[in-house]
Amino acid sequence: MNMRVQPQRTLAETALIDAYGERQSHLPGDGAVMLKRDGAIEAIKHGLPTRRVESWHYTDLRRLLTSIPAFAPAGAAKAVEPIVDGSLVLSVLNGVSSATASKVDGVTVERLSDKLTDGSFAPALDLYGTDDAIGALNAAFVADGYLVDIAAGVTIEKPVELQNMLTGGQSHVRLPVRVGAGAKATIVERQVGAGDGLASSVSQLTIGDDAEVTWVIVQEQPDTATHLAQFKAHLGANSKLSLFFMNIGGRLVRQEINVLTKGEGCDFQLRGINLLAGDTHTDVTMVLDHAVPNTTSTEIVRNVVTGKAHGVFQGRINVHQHAQKTDANMACNTLLLSDDGEFSTKPELEIFADDVVCGHGATVTEIDHNHLFYLMARGIDEKTARGLLVKAFVAAVIEELEDEQIVNALELKLDDWFVAHG
Amino acid sequence: MPAVQETIDRVRKIDVDQYKYGFETEIAMDKAPKGLSEEIIRFISAKKDEPDWMLEWRLEAYRRWLTLEEPTWARVEYPKIDFQDIHYYAAPKSTPGPTSLEDVDPELLKTYAKLGIPLKEQEILAGVQKSAANDDDAPDGEGDNVYKSGRVAVDAVFDSVSVVTTFKKELAAAGVIFCSISEAIREHPELVRKYLASVVPISDNFYATLNSAVFTDGSFVYVPKGVRCPMELSTYFRINEKGTGQFERTLIIAEEGAYVSYLEGCTAPQRDENQLHAAVVELIALDDAEIKYSTVQNWYPGDSDGKGGIYNFVTKRGDCRGDRSKISWTQVETGSAITWKYPSCILRGDDSQGEFYSIAVSNGYQQIDSGTKMIHLGKNTRSRIISKGIAAGFSQNTYRGQVSAHRKATNARNFTNCDSLLIGDQCGAHTVPYMEAKNSTAKFEHEATTSKISDDQKFYVMQRGIPEEEAIALIVNGFVKDVIQELPMEFAVEAQKLIGISLEGSVG
Repeated sequence: MNMRVQPQRTLAETALIDAYGERQSHLPGDGAVMLKRDGAIEAIKHGLPTRRVESWHYTDLRRLLTSIPAFAPAGAAKAVEPIVDGSLVLSVLNGVSSATASKVDGVTVERLSDKLTDGSFAPALDLYGTDDAIGALNAAFVADGYLVDIAAGVTIEKPVELQNMLTGGQSHVRLPVRVGAGAKATIVERQVGAGDGLASSVSQLTIGDDAEVTWVIVQEQPDTATHLAQFKAHLGANSKLSLFFMNIGGRLVRQEINVLTKGEGCDFQLRGINLLAGDTHTDVTMVLDHAVPNTTSTEIVRNVVTGKAHGVFQGRINVHQHAQKTDANMACNTLLLSDDGEFSTKPELEIFADDVVCGHGATVTEIDHNHLFYLMARGIDEKTARGLLVKAFVAAVIEELEDEQIVNALELKLDDWFVAHG
Repeated sequence: MPAVQETIDRVRKIDVDQYKYGFETEIAMDKAPKGLSEEIIRFISAKKDEPDWMLEWRLEAYRRWLTLEEPTWARVEYPKIDFQDIHYYAAPKSTPGPTSLEDVDPELLKTYAKLGIPLKEQEILAGVQKSAANDDDAPDGEGDNVYKSGRVAVDAVFDSVSVVTTFKKELAAAGVIFCSISEAIREHPELVRKYLASVVPISDNFYATLNSAVFTDGSFVYVPKGVRCPMELSTYFRINEKGTGQFERTLIIAEEGAYVSYLEGCTAPQRDENQLHAAVVELIALDDAEIKYSTVQNWYPGDSDGKGGIYNFVTKRGDCRGDRSKISWTQVETGSAITWKYPSCILRGDDSQGEFYSIAVSNGYQQIDSGTKMIHLGKNTRSRIISKGIAAGFSQNTYRGQVSAHRKATNARNFTNCDSLLIGDQCGAHTVPYMEAKNSTAKFEHEATTSKISDDQKFYVMQRGIPEEEAIALIVNGFVKDVIQELPMEFAVEAQKLIGISLEGSVG
C-alpha cells in the first residue's frame, strides 16, 4: 500500500530530539563539530527510517525503536579480559574512553573527545545519504572513542582490542583506525553490555596500500539492549581486509558494513555468524563498492535462527563502470530451526562493468535430513546429532581465521550459546 | 568475461533502431477528451454500456487512486507523468466495439495482417500461410509465427477496444468462454463479479488502482471444469492513437481440472512521446487446474537517443487457489522504454506450483525492472524461477524477485536462478532478490552464478570431434533449455532466436 501518511513523531523520535536539546551544551566540540551535530539531528527530525526506505526494508526502525533510555548508565562499567592475552586493550566504559596512551611501538592512540573538542574530527561526521540513520544518531550524540593510528610498515604481533562496554543508558562511540602502508595488524572490536542500553558505535577503518588487516567484531549485548553499529572501510591498493563478525546478543541489532575498494588489486573477505535466539531482531546490512579495476571479494554469512528471532541479511555488491576484472562472490546460508523464527535476505548485485565475475547465492533450509540420518545411523541420538550439524555449519566460518587463540575463544562462545539455546 | 560475438549480433538485431512495428494506422478515431475525472470514467462506462455496479466499482477505484502516490522504489527513472494529459478512451469510429469479422474495418484487418496476425478464420483454417494481399508489406521474418499456425484464437485489442475475437464458436462448443472483458461484463456478470479484483485488489498499487478506474478492454477467459482448452488463446494489443494510454484488463479463470494456454503480444507505433500502458492481469486456477501464460512484449522501445517509447507499468498476478493447481508465466521482454512488471503467483492451494521463466533484453536507453513474486501459503507448494537478463547500449536491466514462505507453508520449496549479461560498459545489470522464510521446513535456494562453461563439459563434447564453437553452442543450448521447453511450440521465430542467445560471459 502506498497511501499517504502524515508523519507523526514517535516517542523514540521525540525522546532523541529532546535529549539533543538537553545534552547539546555538554557534548564536546563547537563550531564545525556542532554544525555537523545540528545537521545530524535535522536528519532525525525528518523521521527514523521505515520499511519503505529500501535499505531498511526488513528493519522498520521507526516501529522497532520503541523507547530511548535516559543517558545515565545503571552502574559502573568495567573492562573485560581480552580475547587474546597480551592484547593492547582500549576500553570505552559507558561512553567514556579510559586509556590515554599506547604501550605498543608503532601504535598511536588518542582520545576521540580531544579530537571533537579541537574540531579536527568534524569532517568525519558527515552522513552517508538520507538513509544513514545510525550515522546521524551517532554524529549527533558522539562524545568519545579512540583514534588509533598504526604506523606504516610495522607488524603488530598482538591484537589491538577495542572494547565498548555499556551498563544501561546510552553511549555513542566512534572508533576510527588508520593503518599505514605495508602495515599488518589484527583488531578486535568487542561490543558488550548489561541492562537495556542503547549503543551506537561507528568504526572507520582506512587501510593504506599493501597493508593487511584482520578485524573481528564480537557483539554480545544483553537480550534487552539496542545495538546500532557501523563498520566502514576504505581499502588501498593491494591491501587486504579480512572482516569477521559474530552477533550473539541484543534485542534490536543492526550492523552495517560499508566497504570501498579505493586502490587496484585489493581484496576483501567477509565472514560472519548470526546466532539468533529469543525475540531478537538482528539485521546485518552490507554495501560493498568495487570502484576500481582488478579487485576481489568473498562474503560468507551463516545464520542460525531459533525461538522467535527475526534475522536479516542484506548484501549489495556494486561494481562500478570502470571496475573491470572484478571477482566478487557472496553467499548467505541460513538454518531456520523454529517455526516462530523468521529470516529475510536480500543479496543484491548492481553491475555496471561488462568484464567481471560476480555471483551470489542464498539458501534458507532446515537441517539436512540425510546428514541427520547419517549420524543417527551411527547411534548418535537426534539432539546430539542436530547439535553437531548446526555447530559444524557455523564453525566452518570461524575456522578460517588464522589466529588460533581467536578461533578458540570464539568456539567457546559458540559452545556457550549452544548450551543456552541449542 | 565479456559476451561472445554471436550474442552481441543477436542483441543488435533487436536493437531499438531495428523496431519493425513502428507504423501507424490512419483511421478515424472516437476519443474521450484528455484528462481524468469522474466524468471521464462515466463516459468510458457509458461507451461500454456497462451495468451500474461496474460504474460504481470504477468510481470507488478512482477515489482510492486520488489518495495514492506513485511508487518510486523501482530502479527506473522518468519525468513525472501528467495523468491529465492522456486520452483515456480511443476507439476506431468504424469499429467501436467487438463485432463479427465481416464488420471489422478492412483497415484494421490490414493492420493486424501487417503485424503478422491474420484474423480471417477461413484463411487461418485453410492454412494459408501467405495470403498474397496481406503479406506484401509484412515485416521480414514474421511469415511463420504462432498466429499463422492455425491453432490460435485471437482477441484483437486496438487502443481502447477489442475489435474482434476469432474462433468464438469453436471455443463455445467446448464450453470455453473467450471474449473481450467489456463483453464479459455485459454477458457474464456473475463470473466477472465473482472473480474480478479477487487476485489484484482494487487498491493493490498505484497503477492497478488507476487501471481499475479506467480500464477499457482486455480479454476474458473461462474454462469450465475438466475442460482442456482445444486451442491456444491469444490477445494482441496494439496501441495506435497518439496521446492515449492503454489500460487493459485480463481475467482468466480455470475451473477444477481445466487447462488453458494463453499468449499475449503487443506492439505500438514509433513516436517521440511516451505512452502509458498500465494493465492488470488476473489468473485464477482452481483444484488441479493449470494456466500457462506467455507474453511476447514488444512495445515501441523509444529511439536510439531514448526519445519516446511505451511506459509499461503492469500488474500481473496468478492465484493458485485450488489444491494441486499450477500457474506458469513465461515472458520474453524486448520492448518498452520502461518496464515495471512482476508476474506473480500466490500459492494458496496445497501442493500448488508456480513457475516464472523470463528473458529480458534491453537496448538503447531502455529500463527494465522486472521479476516475480512467489508467495507460499499452502503446504507442499513449489516454485521455480529462471530469469535471464541481457543489457546492452545504455540500458538498465534489473531483476527484482520475492520469495516468501508463510508460517503454515510447510515444505515450501523454491529454486531461483537468475543470470545477467552485459554488452558494453555503459549499461547496468542488477539483481535484487528478496527471500523471506517464516517456516522451518521451507527450503529456498537462490543462485545467480556466472554461467561460465566448465572446461570438463567442453572437453567432453570436444573429444567427440565437435569443434569448440559448436561445443559451446551445444552446451549453451542445454543451459537455456529450461526456458525453451516452457514456451508454446509455435512460438514466434523471433522469440526462439532470442532464447537461443548465449549467456556465456554473464556476470551473475
